[in-house]
Amino acid sequence: MKLDGKIALVTGGRGGIGRAVVKRLMQEGATVYAADLTEQGSLKLHDDDGSHFIKLDVTSEQDSISAFSAVKAQHGKLHILVNAAGIEIEKTIEQTTLAEWNQSFAVNATGTFLTSKYSLPLLRAAAESGISSSIINFGSYDGFIADPGLAAYCATKGAVHALTRAMACDHGPEGIRVNAICPGYIDTPMLQSFFEGDGSGGEGGNIDSLQQAVRDVHPMRTYGTPEDIANLVNWLASDEARYASGQLWVLDGGLSAQVQQMKL
Amino acid sequence: MKLKGKRAVVTGGGQGIGLGIVTAFINEGASVITCGRRNRPATLPSGCEYVTLDVADPIAVKEFAASQPAADILVNNAGVQVEKTVTESTDEDWNSVIGVNARGVFNLCRDFIPVMNAGASIINIGSISGNIADPSMALYNASKAFVHGLTRSIAVDHGPQVRCNAICPGWIETGMLEAGFATASSPDAAMQDALDRHPVKRFGKPEDIASMAVWLASDDAAFATGQLFTIDGGMTASSPLNPGLF
Repeated sequence: MKLDGKIALVTGGRGGIGRAVVKRLMQEGATVYAADLTEQGSLKLHDDDGSHFIKLDVTSEQDSISAFSAVKAQHGKLHILVNAAGIEIEKTIEQTTLAEWNQSFAVNATGTFLTSKYSLPLLRAAAESGISSSIINFGSYDGFIADPGLAAYCATKGAVHALTRAMACDHGPEGIRVNAICPGYIDTPMLQSFFEGDGSGGEGGNIDSLQQAVRDVHPMRTYGTPEDIANLVNWLASDEARYASGQLWVLDGGLSAQVQQMKL
Repeated sequence: MKLKGKRAVVTGGGQGIGLGIVTAFINEGASVITCGRRNRPATLPSGCEYVTLDVADPIAVKEFAASQPAADILVNNAGVQVEKTVTESTDEDWNSVIGVNARGVFNLCRDFIPVMNAGASIINIGSISGNIADPSMALYNASKAFVHGLTRSIAVDHGPQVRCNAICPGWIETGMLEAGFATASSPDAAMQDALDRHPVKRFGKPEDIASMAVWLASDDAAFATGQLFTIDGGMTASSPLNPGLF
């Protein structure tokens, strides 16, 4: 097992991608803290997956301090931090209120900042063994190219990308690797809510045909699963990735490798 | 006039983007020579010199460069495309696409860099397809990525003498675009769909590329080198999902 003996904390750990990440890290032998607003997260039902739940609002500095104090008290160190908590507001900048803008940045960018900041002493402690510790942030392909009507989301993900490189530069010498995964379309509650959106479902309002249309744009002709993302988290968290740092790992079924698919 | 007194060599200037660049350079006061594999096209402005030249032929390019006065501007615009995947592509396709698009750029740069004036500017025409892939354009996409890599290498290696940048056009109205739509099952719908993928809601014109070429050729761009400049009406800034899907 790749992660035997390692301690991990996953924010958004009861959400769509976070849930799959937690499960995979546990399968690989890690002790995992699933940090989220509620035990259910964004899923309707929660099966006990054996992870340790920590109530954490990533926008709260005090919550971050408390969460990592708890981990410190138990283990004294942390090998893996996965910043998977995120929100998406489907608006142009004109439609976006200042409160919505601030909330987007608070969760997606400031949340990544706070948990990283307060976990650093624990990540350093883990790296003292000579094996690097790993922060895995969540960017997005939307941090490179824009989906319409997602302005604040795109901007927060661009911020996460830049923060990832900055943290990798600053903390690499301490044995801490920092990478970001940039997912494309992944089948999560966030994506389903995006599909349902304003209820129009694009032309005709049929969610099934809308989903098929989205699949068809992908070179792989499907969108991804949370498990696809968890596979990459697992690798980046493992010692196999000991030379991987400061990079943005796009995982999107080839979506952003192509020029627009003109209907000729 | 931004290019007064400058001498420019533009490959493939008889049509499309190349013709737009030749015309703009002349309007800005440059003395321009262009080339093509055929005889002088009737479309070329009368003030433009012309020579028949296959850029893929290294001996012919060497002779051409030796016959020329010192140049201030070199635009590697000549290009061909073959619409095939890797498995469909023949050796002839490889020789044609790589010969013109990759080796042609190399040939011109190798023979002109030593004889260009101080502060000279090389402008290569790359493509958005050199960064992300157009379907069934394998050799073309790869040849443009070569252009992008060579552009940076020249900028790095020959920095004190010349600047070297690439322009990466998106969809430009050059006749090929219209021909593509004509073959669609529903030409009007295809064109509307393509327009909707452009935030500026229009396709590019050769003049759009030419105006960037003028800037890069001019002394206004004296600190610009080693870069790829995309001009595509915003198309590649947006996700490739179908317009209006959400």
